[in-house]
Amino acid sequence: MEQVGRKKKSFGKIVLFSILIIMAIVQIFPLVWLLDFSFASSNEMFTSGLLIIPEKIKWENYVKAFVDGHFLLYLKNSLLINSLAVFFVVVISIMTAFACRRMKWKLSGTVNTILLLGMMIPIHATLLPNYKIYNAIGLTDTIWALLIPYIAFSLPVGLFLMSSFMESIPIEIEEAAVIDGCGIYRIVFTMITPLLKSSIATVAIMTFLNNWNEFMMASVYLSTPKWKTLPFSVLEFTGQYSSNYAVQFAVMALTAAPAVIVYVLLNKHITKGVAMGAVKG
Amino acid sequence: MKKLYSNKLIIFSLVLPGILVFIFAILAPICLSTYYGFTDYSGMGKATFVGMENYKTLISDEGFWMSMKNSLLLAVGFIVIQHPLAIMVAAILDKLQGKAEGFFRCVYFIPNVISVAIIAYLWKFIYNPDFGLFNNFLKALGFEGKINWLGAEFAIWSVLIVLIWHGFGWGMLIYYTGIKNIDPVLYEAASIDGANASVTFFRITLPLMKPVIQVNITMAIISALKQMETVYLLTNGGPGNRTQFAANYLYQQAFKAFKYGYGNAIGVIFIIICLVVTIFLNRAFQTKEI
Repeated sequence: MEQVGRKKKSFGKIVLFSILIIMAIVQIFPLVWLLDFSFASSNEMFTSGLLIIPEKIKWENYVKAFVDGHFLLYLKNSLLINSLAVFFVVVISIMTAFACRRMKWKLSGTVNTILLLGMMIPIHATLLPNYKIYNAIGLTDTIWALLIPYIAFSLPVGLFLMSSFMESIPIEIEEAAVIDGCGIYRIVFTMITPLLKSSIATVAIMTFLNNWNEFMMASVYLSTPKWKTLPFSVLEFTGQYSSNYAVQFAVMALTAAPAVIVYVLLNKHITKGVAMGAVKG
Repeated sequence: MKKLYSNKLIIFSLVLPGILVFIFAILAPICLSTYYGFTDYSGMGKATFVGMENYKTLISDEGFWMSMKNSLLLAVGFIVIQHPLAIMVAAILDKLQGKAEGFFRCVYFIPNVISVAIIAYLWKFIYNPDFGLFNNFLKALGFEGKINWLGAEFAIWSVLIVLIWHGFGWGMLIYYTGIKNIDPVLYEAASIDGANASVTFFRITLPLMKPVIQVNITMAIISALKQMETVYLLTNGGPGNRTQFAANYLYQQAFKAFKYGYGNAIGVIFIIICLVVTIFLNRAFQTKEI
């Protein structure tokens, strides 16, 4: 009797484990396929097999992708713009959260609510008017055309998270500081900010993930390569090499690589950060 | 303390950057959109005031209603397919220990860190009728494998598959975190009472996850409304307007059909719909909890 029960249990375990494996394959196989085809030549692709074993590994695909995809320039732009956006979102959300949650003024609640409203506004509805505005004041093709909307649309979430984390900091710490003669700015930036370390990480990760992959605004507000970001390596390539499929696969694999590598290396921290933000949100 | 904490000048200096960003990037464009929504502006030349004309057109615009229908379909897809799968996988994953748990969690989330640009083009290739993964897979199973996945008949389903696939890891992670927050004592008590895995799942995990599920469903519906990037690159709303979504439609109207004024009118309605839906969902879930 007991043995049957045990068998049943282990059978159930196998079923559950297979579900995990099947879902993992579904999620990851398209990417394996991408990587596999990126090393082949275009002629080899027209097989009926699922994966191909390339006769010769074509590293040239990657060389072309790297050079003609402006990989380094776009990567540099992406890193710079995203880091700046993260910096501004973190600083502004800490300042605003402190002012709205800790300081005493009549409109604190109203201002907080209005700024949080930004979360509900569909980002793409601002594409048309923002294009007009940036055009009129000469911001198109500058770094600001990306920075401003990236900050604006990550700010509400940042503010929301910072406010809820700030509430868990005991106010007594600040009281002691005030008695010692500390000013507000010193309290905010040298006492509160270090205490918010883990929430800063969460806001930074969310902001980075949101904006790293953005290309719609970039493609409307930018026309020259100067500030274009990493997704453009892929966008521009498909026109340029429309018949050379293998090179297109290479450029996709190449531009996906930085984020995937960073994620796999830091996956524990990133997962924790996203989870913390998501549950609070 | 009180005096310092109600210093108007300091407060003003702290909130000013946030307010400026909000005004410049969100409020001003919305006002401008409202203005252009009442005009027949084409993108160049002069804008003439036409009153409610654009909004009248919108009511009988098939492309717009198609986008609403597709958003609804996508939301249903998220709720009926993606989320049950995500909860189930999260619950199983929670029972695993050690390296395997971390490995699977990492694998499921990887598609989320890859740019939509890459995802869309990758899936265009996966749907390719000649050498695409899907048709080759069908051939391997013994079918003919000549389906035109992005053609009129299948396009919207193909789009749904991509979006459900891409967002799976995110949903899974949130449910996983929610399940991890459940007090393990409850599971111990259940197992002492002789409850098996499925009873534990339906009687303990699911009820306790209710708030997480509500938040997740709200976000799924909103993201179904806001969908643009994947569709823009994968099908650009076509063929016809079969895979159209509101954001993509307003972009097309303004920049491709040169009806900038009309595009803005769609934008205004689009914003209103998003606000109303968000507020409605928050209300609906709040009253239920009491």
